[in-house]
Amino acid sequence: MRSIDVAGTALSNTLRSKLRTFLTVVAIVIGAFTLTLTSGLGAGVNQYVTKMVSGFGDSNQLYVMSASPVAGAPTGDGPVEYDPETSGGGASMMGASTLSDEDIETIASIDGITDVEPVVFVNASYLEAPDGDQYAVDSLGMPSEAAAVELAAGELPAPDTAEITVPESWVEALGAGSADDAVGLDVRVGIANAVGEMEEFAATVSGVSLQAVSGAGGAPMPSQSLNDDLYEYQNSGLAVDRPESYIQAVADVEDLAADGERIKQELTEHQMLGLTLEDQLGAIQGVINAVTWVLNGFALIALLAASFGIVNTLLMSVQERTREIGLMKALGMSGGRVFGLFSSEAVMIGLMGSVIGIGLGVATGVVGNQLLVTGPLKDVAGLSLYAVDPLGLLLIALLILAIAFLAGTLPALRAAKKDPIEALRYE
Amino acid sequence: MSTPVLETENLVKIYGRGPSRFDALKGLTLEIHRGESVAIVGKSGSGKSTLMHLLALLDAPTAGVVALDGRPVSQLKPAAVSDLRNEAFGFVFQQFFLNAQQSVLENVTLPLKIAGVPRSERRRRGLDVLRQLEMDSKAENKANDLSGGQKQRVCIARALINDPSVIFADEPTGNLDSATSRVVEDILFGLHRERGITLVIVTHDDDLAARCQRRLSMQDGRIVNDDAATLHAAAAPAAAVAPHPARHTPSSPATGRHAAVPFPAEPPAPEAPPLSRRERRRLEAEADRRRSGARGEAERA
Repeated sequence: MRSIDVAGTALSNTLRSKLRTFLTVVAIVIGAFTLTLTSGLGAGVNQYVTKMVSGFGDSNQLYVMSASPVAGAPTGDGPVEYDPETSGGGASMMGASTLSDEDIETIASIDGITDVEPVVFVNASYLEAPDGDQYAVDSLGMPSEAAAVELAAGELPAPDTAEITVPESWVEALGAGSADDAVGLDVRVGIANAVGEMEEFAATVSGVSLQAVSGAGGAPMPSQSLNDDLYEYQNSGLAVDRPESYIQAVADVEDLAADGERIKQELTEHQMLGLTLEDQLGAIQGVINAVTWVLNGFALIALLAASFGIVNTLLMSVQERTREIGLMKALGMSGGRVFGLFSSEAVMIGLMGSVIGIGLGVATGVVGNQLLVTGPLKDVAGLSLYAVDPLGLLLIALLILAIAFLAGTLPALRAAKKDPIEALRYE
Repeated sequence: MSTPVLETENLVKIYGRGPSRFDALKGLTLEIHRGESVAIVGKSGSGKSTLMHLLALLDAPTAGVVALDGRPVSQLKPAAVSDLRNEAFGFVFQQFFLNAQQSVLENVTLPLKIAGVPRSERRRRGLDVLRQLEMDSKAENKANDLSGGQKQRVCIARALINDPSVIFADEPTGNLDSATSRVVEDILFGLHRERGITLVIVTHDDDLAARCQRRLSMQDGRIVNDDAATLHAAAAPAAAVAPHPARHTPSSPATGRHAAVPFPAEPPAPEAPPLSRRERRRLEAEADRRRSGARGEAERA
């Protein structure tokens, strides 16, 4: 029997009992659909994260955090002994220990680092529109995030000017008709110092930002120099200087590819942790991949259940077609070919299930992504929740075919072993 | 003597073991020559079906040898035996074993499909053989829509399509009424006569057995009577009566496949009017005489 005839016969045999084949295929379709959707979701979100994180700045930057143990952090080993050296002036933020000015100097002194900029949080009180209305501001965006911000209009604030971007949702409140109109407006930022005295800083709107999932672009973002001025005022007013503390610092490295590992090593020696953009990306993607694989696991369980459907269907089919098998063997079909015929039927069911399931999964993913991104999630710039990954789809199809083939081996073996005489006598 | 198309030596087949042991065949030695028509008769349980299965290479003997064209097949691999069945044999079953959902043509060409013949050639040869059996108008019908006689004709077409040297028929008329049986028998014996195909028929039906040149009567796993001389009816009287007996005795190697009809043309086989009883007896007697003469000559040679 030629392969093309085996395939053709297998196809017509699977179509003989249409309802039964349909139901078996439905089970495969569910598995294939879920797997296509979950893996596409993983690919889509990863794509978005890559895009988002790569916007965080140039890849020659190293993000430095403190790695010293945090005093007072919950530990299972009892309290940590107080040590004024490591406690960095006793300051910590949200349970994480912080960097001191001393640390910043240490970072700057490391060979290969050209510049260090501590990341600071500025808590402004309000933003005053040109018409005098004041709007509450929670926290201002960090200029170090500038590269991750997508703009609807205008430009990013130039580092050494008193410029600011505003989120798109603020445009109307500022009295501008459109995002383009908002560019160039003069606003004032109100901020309180450490003892609660208010001060206003003038700024010009340089651009209108779109909010990304990371939060970047969701709040007014001052330029670097405006940010520095605001920060300085925020910490002023006290009789004594409070030691500075920073949650993070951004270090520019001349040649990250060559010196990266060495610099990270030196930072570790100073109880600091340096992460490149790729490290951060890897960490985020690691989480996404783990979630994706858990979801894929559920889809695989569905496929496993469906494979038993194939076994069942084919066992029934072998039983029903005992005489036909006997006849084929009597007419000279070898056991191997009978095996081939029945396992082809299994593969055929798998093929139908995977084609329909993957097709539905891709359609649902693409349409659903479109609906979400243009609908409820349209404020999140550049969001993609689903991506078509041809190689991934091919692997899914191959996986399903392999599962179907394996499921078909038991019934196919049973068919191949049938004795023609017994089979022909079978009523 | 030339080699017989099928021969067995001391063929033993035992089913089961211990107390349930059943000796279906108890050491059979026989030869079937090319162009012979052989009826295997006997009560159920006599071993006739077992013998046919062993001859048709559908089953392996417990002991003994089956040889096809002088070559023992016991040592062959299962796949090789399958190929041999596909090439050399045709099968006609009592219960037809047609695939109800497939067309007549698909049913008929199944052996070619198994043999790996391309589709277009399968179709051509299928239509050819259906035309010979006057079934070409039904080629595209579903096998289910046919009458019993038509179904058996389709089965015969299927048995013929690979140009077999031997056709095995297991109760070919068991499911047919007598008029239809007659037609089917006529087709089988016509093929036997005109194309020199060896017929091995397992039957309960005395009339059918009587039309064969040779009758093997079986009882309890043994051949109790090998009635080779009995020749009945009009169907095959001339088997041994060719102009040159030495060349055309049933054991002659000259009768290859598709060899020109080795026997004198007979009245058209399928729809031939039944002979009267008296005429049949006369023909039988005549054939008897001729056959014994031919045998004697063959033995001298």
